[in-house]
Order: sequence, then structure tokens, then C-alpha cells
Amino acid sequence: MIRYLAKRGITYVFMIFLTTSAGYFLAVSSLKPALLEQERIPRPTPEQVANSMRLKGLDPDLSPWERYVEWLNGIVTRWDWGRSPNGAFINAEFGDRVWISTRLFLASIILTLVIGVALGVYSAARQYKFQDRVITSYSYLAYIVPAPIAYFLVQLGAININETVGERIFFVTGISTPGMQPGWAQFVDMVAHYAVPTIAITLVGWGSYQIAQRQYLLDNVNADFVRTARAKGLTRNQAITRHALRVSFIPVAQSIAFTIPAIFAGGFFAEKIFAWPGVGSWSIDAISLQDVNAATATLAYGSVIFALGAILADFATTLVDPRVRVQ
Amino acid sequence: MSTFLEPADPAPTAAERLHIAGLHSPSDAVLSVRDLNVSFNSENGAVHAVRGVNFDLMPGKTLGIVGESGSGKSVTSLAIMGLLPATAEISGSVRLKGKELLGLSDKAMCAYRGNDIAMVFQDPLSSLTPVYTVGTQITEALTIHNPGMSKAAKETRAVELLAMVGIPSPRNRLRAFPHEFSGGMRQRVMIAIAIANNPRVLIADEPTTALDVTIQAQVLEVLHTAQEETGAAVVMITHDLGVVAGIADDIMVMYAGKPVETGSVDDIYYDPRMPYTMGLLGAVPRVDVAEKSSLVPIDGIPPNLLHTPTGCSFAPRCPLVTDACLDGEPALSPVPGTGYHQAACIKSGSLGGDVDVHEIFSAPPVPVSRFDLIPRGDRSTVLELKDVRKHFPLTKGALLKRRIGTVKAVDGLSFDIREGECFSIVGESGSGKTTTLLEIMEFHKDQDGEVIIGGISNKQAADAKTKSAMRREMQMVFQDPTGALDPRFTVYEVLAEPLQNAGLSKRAIKKRIMELMNLVGLQPDHVNRFPNQFSGGQRQRVGIARALAVNPKLVVLDEPVSALDVSVQAGVINLLDKLRAELGLSYLMVAHDLSVVRHISNRVAVMYLGKIVEIGEVDRVFDNPRHPYTRALLSAIPVPDPQFERTRERIILQGDLPSPLDAPKGCNFATRCPVFAALPAAKQEHCLTLEPPLEAVQPSAAVEILEAGPAPTPDQRFACFFPDGELDEHMLVVHETAEPHAP
Repeated sequence: MIRYLAKRGITYVFMIFLTTSAGYFLAVSSLKPALLEQERIPRPTPEQVANSMRLKGLDPDLSPWERYVEWLNGIVTRWDWGRSPNGAFINAEFGDRVWISTRLFLASIILTLVIGVALGVYSAARQYKFQDRVITSYSYLAYIVPAPIAYFLVQLGAININETVGERIFFVTGISTPGMQPGWAQFVDMVAHYAVPTIAITLVGWGSYQIAQRQYLLDNVNADFVRTARAKGLTRNQAITRHALRVSFIPVAQSIAFTIPAIFAGGFFAEKIFAWPGVGSWSIDAISLQDVNAATATLAYGSVIFALGAILADFATTLVDPRVRVQ
Repeated sequence: MSTFLEPADPAPTAAERLHIAGLHSPSDAVLSVRDLNVSFNSENGAVHAVRGVNFDLMPGKTLGIVGESGSGKSVTSLAIMGLLPATAEISGSVRLKGKELLGLSDKAMCAYRGNDIAMVFQDPLSSLTPVYTVGTQITEALTIHNPGMSKAAKETRAVELLAMVGIPSPRNRLRAFPHEFSGGMRQRVMIAIAIANNPRVLIADEPTTALDVTIQAQVLEVLHTAQEETGAAVVMITHDLGVVAGIADDIMVMYAGKPVETGSVDDIYYDPRMPYTMGLLGAVPRVDVAEKSSLVPIDGIPPNLLHTPTGCSFAPRCPLVTDACLDGEPALSPVPGTGYHQAACIKSGSLGGDVDVHEIFSAPPVPVSRFDLIPRGDRSTVLELKDVRKHFPLTKGALLKRRIGTVKAVDGLSFDIREGECFSIVGESGSGKTTTLLEIMEFHKDQDGEVIIGGISNKQAADAKTKSAMRREMQMVFQDPTGALDPRFTVYEVLAEPLQNAGLSKRAIKKRIMELMNLVGLQPDHVNRFPNQFSGGQRQRVGIARALAVNPKLVVLDEPVSALDVSVQAGVINLLDKLRAELGLSYLMVAHDLSVVRHISNRVAVMYLGKIVEIGEVDRVFDNPRHPYTRALLSAIPVPDPQFERTRERIILQGDLPSPLDAPKGCNFATRCPVFAALPAAKQEHCLTLEPPLEAVQPSAAVEILEAGPAPTPDQRFACFFPDGELDEHMLVVHETAEPHAP
């Protein structure tokens, strides 16, 4: 197992290096922070701009290859991912934002999974009955409606509640109210901030798991081995829960392992709409602010997290499917 | 105890005769079915899948239910087990030891399922849950019906069951997962699960259809043992008349959801009274008969079960149909002058004795090719293989692949096919038959070995022109006619494609297509139809027409009839026979059904693990097999002849085809060889270290089947050092002797 991990790890490190390098070249040749500087008022001279850029390690006069070598050198020797045009250090910014993203998504991912898989099983057992039709229609709706619109709708709902009650119960944006005393009040404040984004992301998210779990389970409900189990003397429901469910969970487990990292890395709609400055919104900002190093760093983070997802998916499959051998 | 052991009783008592089909009180029957009807609601209306099935099953007896796909035999078994979907409408009565089963809730039915009545399903690969060990799945069956049983007792019983069905080192295998077993082994596990609680009734639904013949013989042996051990009555459902001939006491033939003929096994095989049964028996080629007569084709297709037939359901396909047949569906009624033999035909009285089925169904005369008169040596060679090899490297590792072994899929194959002859390759799955075909079809100049097609060698096939000249010489017909035809092409487009490639004018293409349609027996005005508007047999005819479009010399047939029902299969085989004779074609055929091979081929090669172990003229090889593997293969084929089956001596090979990785240095077959097992150690050493060459049979050894005149070396070669060695008696099985034996 350890050898397998090491082997996969080396492969992925190599792949991450390739994608990140390619990303850096793309960013360095298309993003020009110096141009943005020139729009400042009073307008600085080109020399001033070049000087300030050079100080931050973003010398626009160097060739992409020279900058790449410098950048890579910084990472390898000092673990320094460079600076933004505004002078901020990528390393410092990054840690904060990863933590914010994680806090935003952790609860809703767990809820999404549990609710999605449970509803999938529930609706598969009642295929074409009323409950199944309602649940599955909802899931398809959640699939179709663009996530930002759904998030806005939830925000509107929360605002409505606030207005109806006549008191602010939910915060629809932001992470916390500054200057709260630690203790009960701070906890209530945190819940009030968490509730809306968590509910919104969960409501939109579970649909895909519900559809997948329902579909895979239905594929197996009439499988030959379920018939064998029934022929042994199990009732239909026993045969489904003991035999079909575990088999149908194999592909779901795999997809779960792959989607979790994707959410951490790319939930920029939610981060933007709920004004949680996480990794996702940072990556969008980096591009609009012509920030080469931040854009490359978010790309690298995305690659790492996908590699983790792939390894996680392998583990998940090995865990639920005895036919898979790790070598 | 077992019905297998009884010799054919010339005069059974009246009470015994009455025990089928509800003619006597069902009190002593373990399972009695009365007027069972099943219908499903479909978008087009109710499908009447089963209509009025009646039978009584006596303890320890075996009932064979025979029919083609769609005849309602599997639905009958599932209805008895209560395993049909809730949407199925079931009426009638199913009594197990006098207790009514129909109408019981799923939960109430669970007390019987797996306990008093158990079932073995068709496809062993998908019938076991992949994520649980075999042991878990067997003990589950025990736990359900014996909640008080201790864990140790259950494990002991599971080991006992696995040993009973012939799984080596059963205690260790308990912890194995289904994917670690071969198909035959998984079917043994299924049987172990079914007999775990000593059922009174065991239903086996096509238990061997998915398996190789040698494995089929093993599994049938296991079922036989299981029945002996448990004393269960068995319902054996099959489409293969050979499989039930040796083991059934009674037979029920089903057609269009209805039993159309019932009786003792001898009644049905030797004195069939329903034209459908007669046709079915005439449609199956026999592996043990050399004399060639055309097969009986049953025209048409089974009726649509959406409509309740107004007359006899077989009338549209019956050659003896009269107006009276269309007036109401005939009921199953006793055949005059017999005991409990019943047939649903108004003419059953007049069909007895010496009515020739070939005449009734107007089977075509045996076609004679113009090449048949020319000695083989004087005919030109259409295909020749010289020492063709295909080795696949077996590698390990994802990034850096290391070679850990070689799979010798085809290992030094040489044979030739002359004009106008049919050459077949037979062997178990994994023996390299398909790889051989692929090597021939994908000829290229870097191949290991030489493939000579129409006089041009693959070594010369460098330019596209030579290649396409070689391609035109041979065409292929595939196993699955549905998969081989593009569903969005009309038949016209399917047939026009090769002709356009050959550069024919539009006019010439049209003319050729009409010719082809006539040639393969399709209506020319059906050319604008899509493949899904044809039946399976017709689709295979389209596939044959496509292969013949460019006038090839050689047609490569990959299992051409294995996907077809018996009655349809006969028509296609007759067509292939006729085309060979009329067009002077040569065939290279791969088939697992040795009866079909014997019927249609002139020469045959038996392959084992990539090598030819025996090759020669088909009648010589089949009547006087020299290689122990050929002997085993032939003895494993069930013959639709109950008397013969009961007295026949079988060689049951042990185990499965070994992995090519473990192939011994000497003779490949030594690990399973019945002769090898009985040899003294010194001679065994000979087999294990030296590879037997393919050598001709000495004329003296085959003197009994030589015709008049000076004897040239007979056309039969085999690769074995000790063809006349004694067979290991543990691998021989004869049911007639009634001696207990090790399977």
C-alpha cells in the first residue's frame, strides 16, 4: 500500500509540476500587471511602474523563461510563491483563503452527501411512486437552475424571513460580525452567518448525488445477484439493502471522492455571492487584477487537490469493492 | 433413488404413467402446478407469457421443460418461485407439498424460498454478489432458514457443501470472492447455495447454457450428485434437447407460453406427436451420426404473445396445417394408444411411428458441390497458414511495465483450406480459436508466421492494392447478427457498401443486391427495411449476404448460429450448406457446438491452449478420435437420444482450462489428461518434458474405417504420445452402472 502510494505520489507530483509550469507560462505571457498600474491617477511613468514591479519580482522586461526560472527558484529554495502586484505575499494570503473556503464548504459537503445518498436510496426503493417523482424532479431542477440564481433565491428567502420577523436573524453575506465578544453571542453570530450559505449550497448540491445513487441502485435492483439473494429466502427489501446497495455505492463513492476537492478549489460563485473571500474568488480576482503569481498558485492548489481526489477515489473504491487490488 | 439410474422401463405401471400433467391426484406430488397463467402489461397491451401450464412433480424425479426463447419456460419457473415483478398478473395454482404458494406475500414466500424450493440460475457470472465472499453467501442461505444455527456449524456445513459440489480445498475457498472463481466454479457455488437447506424441489433454469461443453458435463454431474444427496425433485429448464435427454424422466415442450407436448422422455424423443416437437428434434444436428441429411428447418418465427391465438399457435409455421387447425386452440389431450403422453395437436393420432419428419417439413435435399468429386489434393488452396504465432506479453506495473510472462494465444498453427471445403476449429473458450481468426483477418507482413490467401502471402502484402486483392478473397460472418449490422443502415445500404468499395456502378450494385437477397432466401422487396425489422435468423442471412457481396472464395464464420434459436439455426445451417455447394465456397468456421461442426464441416481441427492437438477429416476425427482431449470433448456433448445418453460412458475432465501462464513444458494437456493420470511415472515424465508433435495416424491404427483400395495415409493427425493409454477411471462416468462415483 505504501509503495503504491509512493508510486502514485511521484506520478502526480510530476503531473502537477507540468500543469503548473504550463499555467505559469500562460499567465506570464497574457497577464500584464504593468498595464493596470498605468491607469492609476496620477499616472506613473513607465520607469516608475517597471521599478515597482521589479521590486516585487514581477519585472516586465525579463523574458517569460527568465521569470519562470526565477519563480521556480523561489519556490524550490525558499517555498516562496512570489508577490501580487499590490505587494502582498502569496504565501500569507493563501493560508487565510484556504481556511475560509474550507469553513464555507465543509458543513455543506457533509450534508449534501448524506442527504443526497439517503434520498437516492429512498427514491430508488419507491421508483415511479409519488415521493420518487417529487424528489427526482427536484434534483433535476437543482441541476438545471444555475447555482448563482439558486444562491440568490436562498438569500432573498433569508431576507424575507428577516423582514417578516422584523429582526435580522440571518446574515446573507460575510463571515462574521467584527468585534463580537467571545462566548454565546459569538456562536450565535457564527451560526447566523453560516446558515444561509450552507443551506444554499446543500440545496443545490444534493441533487447530483441523489440522481446518481438512485440510478446506480436501480441498475442493481433487478440484477441477477439480487434475484439469487431473494431465491435464498430474503425479502425483496432485505435483498436490496444487503446486496444491491453496497454494489451500487461503488461508483458513487468514486464520484464523491472526486467532487469534494473540486468544490474546495472552485466554489467561486458561492464565495462571491456570499462574500466569503476564499480560494475560488481569489482565483477570479487574480485574473482580473493581472496577478500572475496568485493565478498560478490557485492553479497549483487545484492540481494538488485533484491529485488528492484521485488517490482518495482509488482508496474509496478499494474500500468498497473487493475486486480491486491495490498494487 | 435417482431416476438416472433406472433403465428404460418398457411398461411402466398405470399409476406411474399418470403422474404427469395433472391426470392423477396430486397428493403425492411434491410440486403441482395447475392452470398457471402469467401476463405482463406492456405499452402495447397484455403479453400472455404463460398460458395454462399444468404438471405434477414427483419426489426425486426430474422434469425437463424444453422450449425456445420466449416460450415462457423461465417465466414459469420464476412464477413458481414468486420472483416475478409485482406488475405480473399470475393466476392458477402452485402447490408445494399441498400448500398453496400463489398469492403469498413476499415475506410469507420467504419461508419456502431457499428452504423447500430452491433455484439455480442461468448466468453464474452475474448471479453471485461480487462484493461478498462465497462463504458469506452460502452461510447467508443457512442463516435465513436456521436462525439458531451456531457460527461454527454454519461454517462446517458450508465447507461440506462446497466439497459436495466438487470445489477443491473448500475451507480456504470460503474466503474467496466470486471473481476469483471461473464460470463453472461459480455455477457450482450456486448449486451449493441452492441445496444448502436440502430443498424438496430444485429448479435449474438453463444452468449450463453459459458454460463450455466440458464444464457443462462437470456441472450436470454436480447437479446429479446434488439430486442424489438431497433427494430433491428437479425441474430442468433448457433449450438444448441434448442436455435433458440423459437426465430427465419427463419432458414438457413449451411453445408460445403453452405446453404443447408432455410425456416421458422416451415418448417425446422417440415418438413425438406434435409437429413442433418433431421439427425441433429434426432441427438439431447430431454429433454421433456421420450420415449426412439436411436439417429440418421450421419456417417463420414464434407468434407475438400480445394476441391470444384463435387457432393452434404453431399453425402459421406448421407444414401440416389445415383449416381445422385454425378453429380454436387445441388442448393438450392424450395421444391415442399411449399412456400419459399428451400432445396439443388435432393430428397427434396420425403422426406416430414411421412418419418422416424430413418429408413433413420438406427439408431440402443434401446439396452436392462440384468439388466433392474432385480429390482434395487436386483442388487449389484458398487459405494456408504456416506456423502462425500470436504471443501476448503479460506485463505488470503502471508506469514502467515489466514483462512477467507470455500468453501463447496461438502457438505455431499450420493448416490449409482447399476449394469447396468447410474447415472448422473447435475447442473450449480460451483455446485460441478467435485469435486465430483475427490473425487471419488482420494479416500483415510483420506477422509471426505466414498467412497465404488465394496464393498471395502476407509477406508480399506491402501495398494497398495487394492487400485489397487479398481482402476480397475472404469475408467474415459474425456471431451476433444484431451487433454486426448498423441499425441505421437499411439492408440495401448494408449490402451496397462492399460493392461500392469494389467500384461497381449503381446499376450493377442494384442488380447484385437483388441477386444476393434471393440467394440467401430473403424477399427482395425487403431491401429498404432496417435490421430491427427482421428476426435473428433473417439478420444472420443479411450478414451472410453482405459477406458474399464481393464474391469471395473463402467465408470466415465466427460462431454463425450460436446466437440463434434451434429452429431458426437449422435454416441458416442449411443455407450455408447450400451456398457452399452452389457457389463453390470454402468456409473457415469457429464454433463451440460440435454437433453443428460435424454437420457442416469436411475437416476439423481441435485446439487446446493455442495449439492444434488433432486435425483431420471430420468423420475420422469424430468417429475415431485419437487425442485424449478430443475424446473428452466429444464425450461431453449431450446427444438428444435418451437411450444412448443413459448408457454412455463419459470422460469428465477435471478443473478448467489452465492459465496459459502455467502451461507445462511438455504436453499442454497433461494437467487435465485422463490418460496421463493413469500412466506410470516414467511415461508421465515423457509427457511433461517433451512436446508431442502433430503426427499422422498410421494406416494400421485406423484400419477398421478404411474404405476399399490401397490405403494412403489417412487424413488425421494428432499430438499425443500415448493415444492408446488406459483412461483414468476416476474421470469416467457411466450412470447405468449405478455405482457411486467421484465427480
